[in-house]
Amino acid sequence: MDLDAKLDAVYVPSEDIVARTIEGELIIVPLAAGIGDLEDELFTLNETGKAIWDSLDGKRTLREVLEELLSEFEAPEGEIEEDLIGLVTELVRRRILVAVP
Amino acid sequence: MDAQTRIDKQTRPEFSVTKGSDLPLSGRSLVAILRAVLEKGAPARFQAKGFSMSPFIKNNDLVTISPLKGKRPGLGEIIAFVHGETDGLCVHRVVRRKDGLYVTKGDNISDTAEVVPRENILGSVSRVERERKEVFLGLGPERYLIAFLGRRHLLFPFFLPIWRVVRPIIRRTAD
Repeated sequence: MDLDAKLDAVYVPSEDIVARTIEGELIIVPLAAGIGDLEDELFTLNETGKAIWDSLDGKRTLREVLEELLSEFEAPEGEIEEDLIGLVTELVRRRILVAVP
Repeated sequence: MDAQTRIDKQTRPEFSVTKGSDLPLSGRSLVAILRAVLEKGAPARFQAKGFSMSPFIKNNDLVTISPLKGKRPGLGEIIAFVHGETDGLCVHRVVRRKDGLYVTKGDNISDTAEVVPRENILGSVSRVERERKEVFLGLGPERYLIAFLGRRHLLFPFFLPIWRVVRPIIRRTAD
């Protein structure tokens, strides 16, 4: 199964996680076996990561998200695309994000 | 047009994996995460801190809180709630229910009980683990007796002598 993020795909947070912004940082709790285990691995995203997370609404493609990020953030286009694809791929591999069929 | 936010090495999107116990969470932050998990209908597991529920829940025991799903916490149940003064997390036993309010008390605390409104209750303790073993005592039918005795500040005079006899038997059985 190809888990690499695609620019034409649409992604949404998995049903098996809980995400909350705590003191400016996004904390993601996976519901492993239906339990939110706060002693196990938790995932955090910094402010820029959170801006990407907030854009993944299950409606827009990654390409549309990228266009939005390009207007919002000042950095070379290739770098933003690389960061976006890298982050989404990591989140998909860890089953935090899922592709909308 | 709004000014663009510059992305540099420090602000590149970053994803981190952290062991929950290594994440420095304030009491309010822990409450926020617990509430989010429980509102999703899932139980939440975390490490208890403190001695107020000893010997039934000890410092560093792993406690699982289950959502109430519309149920009213019963007498003797151990509940997790938001403390009215500190907004932090508190895990104590219901020793009385009256007019929609829940009077709670730490099993190891002899001073006054706390009155908790329903909206401050996050869930009830469904499982306690200590040294990788499940602890059953205090969550079964004996909880009614514990609540009764706790309400009258009689828990320790009554319970400690019995506990000293029962504890070694339970340990031997568990091993």
